[in-house]
Amino acid sequence: MPELYLWLLDRLLTPLLLVLALVLLLVGHNAPGGGFIAGLVVAVAFLLQIISRGDDYVRQLLGPYLQPIMGIGLLLAVMSALIGLTQGAFFTGVWWKIAIGSSTLEVGTPMFFDMGVFLVVLAVVTSYVLELSRGPAGQEEQ
Amino acid sequence: MLLFHLLLLALTGVLLWMLRPHRLRHVGWLAALPPLVVTVWLLGQMNTIAAGRFPAEQYVWSPQLGLDLLLRLDGLALFFGLIITGIGAAIALYTGYYFAGNPRLGYFYGLLFLFMASMLGLVWADNLLLLFVFWEGTSLTSYLLIAFKLEDSKALEGARRALITTGLGALAMLGGMVLLAQMAGTYTLSAILTQPASQFTDHALYPAALLLILLGAFTKSAQFPFHFWLPGAMAAPTPASAYLHSATMVKAGIYLLARLHPALSDSPLWFWSLLSVGGITMLLGAITALRHYDLKAILAYATVSQLGVLVFLLALPSEKALIAVVVGILAHALYKGPLFLVAGILDHATGTRDIRQLAGLARAVPWVTATAILAGVSMAGFPPFFGFLAKEMLLESFYQFAEKGNPIVGWLGVAAVVVSGAFFVAYSLTLLWEPFFRRQVPTNDPGNDAAPVHHPPEFVLVLPALALVVLGTALPLLISLVEKPLLIPAVSAMAGTKVEFHLALWHGFTPMLLASLFAIALGIALFWARATLRAGLERSPSWLDGRLIFDQIVDALYGLARWITQRIQGGSLATHISVTLLCAVALLLYALLQLDWRNDLRINWAALPTFTEVILAVLGIVAAVVTVRTRSRLSAIISIGVVGVVVTLFFVFFSAPDLALTQLLIEVLTVVFLVLVFYRIPPRSHPPTPSATRWRNLAVASAVGVWGFFMVLLSVEGPFLPSIADFFLLNSVDAAHGGNIVNVIIVDFRGFDTLGEITVLIIAALGGYGLLRATRLRPVLVPAQSPDSDENATAALAAKEPAHA
Repeated sequence: MPELYLWLLDRLLTPLLLVLALVLLLVGHNAPGGGFIAGLVVAVAFLLQIISRGDDYVRQLLGPYLQPIMGIGLLLAVMSALIGLTQGAFFTGVWWKIAIGSSTLEVGTPMFFDMGVFLVVLAVVTSYVLELSRGPAGQEEQ
Repeated sequence: MLLFHLLLLALTGVLLWMLRPHRLRHVGWLAALPPLVVTVWLLGQMNTIAAGRFPAEQYVWSPQLGLDLLLRLDGLALFFGLIITGIGAAIALYTGYYFAGNPRLGYFYGLLFLFMASMLGLVWADNLLLLFVFWEGTSLTSYLLIAFKLEDSKALEGARRALITTGLGALAMLGGMVLLAQMAGTYTLSAILTQPASQFTDHALYPAALLLILLGAFTKSAQFPFHFWLPGAMAAPTPASAYLHSATMVKAGIYLLARLHPALSDSPLWFWSLLSVGGITMLLGAITALRHYDLKAILAYATVSQLGVLVFLLALPSEKALIAVVVGILAHALYKGPLFLVAGILDHATGTRDIRQLAGLARAVPWVTATAILAGVSMAGFPPFFGFLAKEMLLESFYQFAEKGNPIVGWLGVAAVVVSGAFFVAYSLTLLWEPFFRRQVPTNDPGNDAAPVHHPPEFVLVLPALALVVLGTALPLLISLVEKPLLIPAVSAMAGTKVEFHLALWHGFTPMLLASLFAIALGIALFWARATLRAGLERSPSWLDGRLIFDQIVDALYGLARWITQRIQGGSLATHISVTLLCAVALLLYALLQLDWRNDLRINWAALPTFTEVILAVLGIVAAVVTVRTRSRLSAIISIGVVGVVVTLFFVFFSAPDLALTQLLIEVLTVVFLVLVFYRIPPRSHPPTPSATRWRNLAVASAVGVWGFFMVLLSVEGPFLPSIADFFLLNSVDAAHGGNIVNVIIVDFRGFDTLGEITVLIIAALGGYGLLRATRLRPVLVPAQSPDSDENATAALAAKEPAHA
């Protein structure tokens, strides 16, 4: 990896962005963030990978998983909404309180829904970037 | 128990579908069991219902929509229910042997039982909307059954025609039902029917409601001019034709008319529309049946004719007519179903259903012949068979109307019945004589030799049909047995009051008997002259068919759709976007014209923008101008990114971190996308865009700019409903356990919207995936001489999209 900035993108910025995405996803319900934003951040992280390592590398790494991830995300969203049926209606939020030591953690179906959104957004945007980045290289193969 | 039976049948269908039942030799007996169970249960309910107690069930479903799972078993529901499950059991048995060893037997059974459950739900539903849901269920299963032979393009066409026709009718009917519920104040059928009829017939909405409901009933029951779909539906496998397109589904329209009879029937509009449509259908079907050579086509037109008879009868305002309807439905189900089954057996045994190629089968298949004769003479209306009783009742209804009501209409009705009755006789005799008894096929017809019997049918294949005809033959002799528990409650439900009557096969020497005998004599004469008649009928204009008109309408619709698509989404991205944006502008313009400028817009001119805001605004404007003016694509992309960042900064200053974060990410990705897209498009090599196009683009862009300005202005200062932001602020933490309102709105308060959005996102991703793949196979080459290369490149991209149609 000859160029310093490529090395920075690959080794430093990408993991940083992935961690940031995770944080945004988890705090999203109470602080700025959320599944949609986190999904975009992950897509940007993959974009950096495409720039630093080339699109073929990323395609081989992620390509086969993208469409399954979309499906899983949608399924997760629908399932979390379906859980609401037990409380009366589709999409009714269901919350559980989990005590960890002295603090309690609140976990609810909207969080799972948000994770579904996250998966869908990251997979959709990444697949678009991957397809578009194939570009003229693909045409030369003809 | 009612819901249990519906679920039992539906579950049977699903199980049979999954279990690959063709490996079981005698699966037919197993499949016949569930409908038989329901039949027996229904028989057990007869006395309860005759005593005036109607089992009903209610399950709350969606009370906001007035939609509850209300089921109710009254006389009419019981009557239809018995036909559906009784004949259903026979068909289920027959199917097992008809499709013996066929791997698609399970699929067929699945559809058949799902249909049975829908049809049963249709007649048991006590809620208009629920009835509609089941109604559509029957249409869909019917569609799939007609299209059962996937490789047969005729079958697919017939299925499409049937679905579009009945589907459009059902939509009209839904409109009519909503109007009806508006008049009645409820969607519950039993509650509607207890209200006085004058409440409906005197209402201003009555004509619209009635016509819409009639449209639904007429399309479903194949009335003129919608009758064409039924013969087309004969491409379905024979068990489906016998069951859906003769005994049950096509009676759904009749059922609806009978069901709503107490509320809607007391008006001239009802009388004349049913009389004319039913009368025409009856005559047209009866006459056309004689012209055909395919056994199933003959039976299909005969069914059309019989359905016409029932509608014709329902026009009359007398109890007698209602009795005749009930007797007619029962008789028809018991002779037409078996005749279809016989047609299927002959098809199975000889490989053809063309009566020009069939002869002398009586000796080869004696049991089938016996079944056909018993059913055929009933269809012809020979005494003392069920069809005779039905025709007597029919004639009597019109005779009575001639004496007590309108003599001209009454006598014309009698004449029409006699004529169509004669044709009934003629094609019934043809159907019996030609395949079974004549020595050989006429030499001038194609395929000179009669088709031999390849596989003699097993007796068990004949058994269901035989059982039904034996029942149909015995029933008129034992009519007093079923009269009290079955027929009287059914007629009472149709009349809306308790009715008493006594049926007899033999009425003495009445004028009706004379008319009946005259029809038979005329029919025999027509039978002798059938060769001449057929030749004459074949010369009748083909547009009478209705099918051609339908096809022309559908083609014209496709043409219109193509034309509109060409205008607004013809492949040029610039046009496509302009149309969309200008529509938005037009909508806003309309809203602005409604505005009271003096009072509605209170703009606070004193609130000066801060220094930062001014700087940002200027920066944004400069970047936008650069985007448009620059000759280099890369600088255009960069400056468009600058515009986006300026907007992001605005969000930051107005403390909307979520929006700012999203906007920033979107901007980054947009810039990358644009770079990648332009990377794929060949470099500009074009003469400058013609100035007319540039002016057009400028106009559209300015209009959209003004649109954005007013949108913001109106949403901040406009005279609209109070903001719902306060609701979200108040409830976000308590109700949704989240402090970030934007996120709470996305995943909780407006979760349903988000679900829709991510679904659309996936669809777009999959579509884009296919689109980009397709363009890579054929690289986009833009002709050098094109006036506007960007536009054409996108046009070429769009053209790769699979055809719009």
